[in-house]
Amino acid sequence: MSSDPDTTRIVRSWLEGGVTVLPDRVLDTVLDQLPATPQRRAWWPARRIADMNTFAKLAIATAAVVAVAIVGINLLPANGGLGVGGSTVSPSPSPSPSPSPSPSPSRSPSPRPSPTPVAWDYPSATDLELGTRYPWVVHGVPLSLTVPTTGWSTKGTPWGTMSKDSAAASDGSARGSWILIWDVENVNVSPCSTAALDPMPGPSAAELATAVASMPGVEVVTGPIDVTVGGRPAIHLTIALPDDLSCAPESDDLWYSTGHPSCGGTGECWRYASEPGQTIDIWIIEADGARIFFEAETYKGTPPEFEQEIQQIIDSIRFG
Amino acid sequence: MDVHLVQAAQHGDQEAFASLAVSVGSRLHAVAHRILRDVTLAEDATQQALLAIWRDLPQLRDPARFEAWSYRLVVRACYAEGRKERRWAPNLYLIHPDQAVAGEGLGSVHDRDQLEQGFRRLSIDHRAVVVLHHYLDLPLDEVAEALGVPVGTVRSRLHYAMRGLRAALDADARPVAREVAR
Repeated sequence: MSSDPDTTRIVRSWLEGGVTVLPDRVLDTVLDQLPATPQRRAWWPARRIADMNTFAKLAIATAAVVAVAIVGINLLPANGGLGVGGSTVSPSPSPSPSPSPSPSPSRSPSPRPSPTPVAWDYPSATDLELGTRYPWVVHGVPLSLTVPTTGWSTKGTPWGTMSKDSAAASDGSARGSWILIWDVENVNVSPCSTAALDPMPGPSAAELATAVASMPGVEVVTGPIDVTVGGRPAIHLTIALPDDLSCAPESDDLWYSTGHPSCGGTGECWRYASEPGQTIDIWIIEADGARIFFEAETYKGTPPEFEQEIQQIIDSIRFG
Repeated sequence: MDVHLVQAAQHGDQEAFASLAVSVGSRLHAVAHRILRDVTLAEDATQQALLAIWRDLPQLRDPARFEAWSYRLVVRACYAEGRKERRWAPNLYLIHPDQAVAGEGLGSVHDRDQLEQGFRRLSIDHRAVVVLHHYLDLPLDEVAEALGVPVGTVRSRLHYAMRGLRAALDADARPVAREVAR
């Protein structure tokens, strides 16, 4: 019988055999494809990340959430215009008042007019206190909420995410949840695809929820079910991403918005998952003519009371 | 790794990326081949990983961690290729000619066959840990960083994988032991 050291030695020796050189043709193929492969710009402020704890870093990186793909970047040549090397993040929080003068190649299925500017607002970066009602304005719709426990904070710009870190696990890994309240227009064909649904889901909460629930490879844990949030009709569903999601980290796109001011007015903000196996609780609320997308992403291994706290935050929402 | 090259490539410098790709391509390919046990799949995985590196490089916050990050991407690409293998490839495998050269300490062709079969029974998760630790000699904490999982998970996967490989080797020895017992 082999002893452990024997096994290790044999396995190491066996692994020495095998190819060690990448054929030139493979490298050539990669380099040939660079001009047609736009880079995805980072949008987080590195200066702030350095000051944060482990989960907060993840929450921001995953507040992760949103990859900004300016309309037009995807199909432009790499060495021209907004192609490779150009920033896709608009520094301006206000939408561009004028539409693009040129056709707008985009991952979204059909061209749309520039969104009409609407009001958005959310608390500045702060620790959220018990007993205080915090105001948001989401796509022109005012709402407010409270938190049920201490430990929740908002990140302020650019997305107004709120998050809570749980006590670090013994191995030091980050656990916790973060929440984003915004609008979502369309979902991806699948988490690892670069294409959005065409045609887009209809305007109702139910149609968007069905599109989310129908994404191949995404496990629907609960719902979609009819609920009310703050007295408004809504759809709730919970999805989980498979552990063996095959796309590259932070490239598993799920859905996008163009309405959020941090999308730059003419851009698409793609939200991607940050860790396979995560759970995402979603409430799609129909309120005052807007479709509000409330999503809470919870990392694997996070204590179950976080789910309850998220539900309590949802229950605290009031409109107006 | 030249951090300046990484930074230049992050800003869209294709020549800098080409130098990076030359520098890391063979290592990524070697890792992919050892995980997937198939030259063609490994080439596809390496190609996908290099393109993913180019595409997502601006999002790498610490250029000094480029290497660990690149391993993560190649393992991800191996997941995708491994999935294709499960879907479309016949349940056969071919030992690449390079593998026919037994390394020091590898007892027999039969050992290699047993290891090959035992390794193929492991998930990509487990294979990746074995390859990063025992082939690249990465310490467990660096394997954890590369794979984006806790160290405890890496330790557990490694234990499980090595137990499976030892069982594969023991399966080879078992008939001999029975004969001796008789």
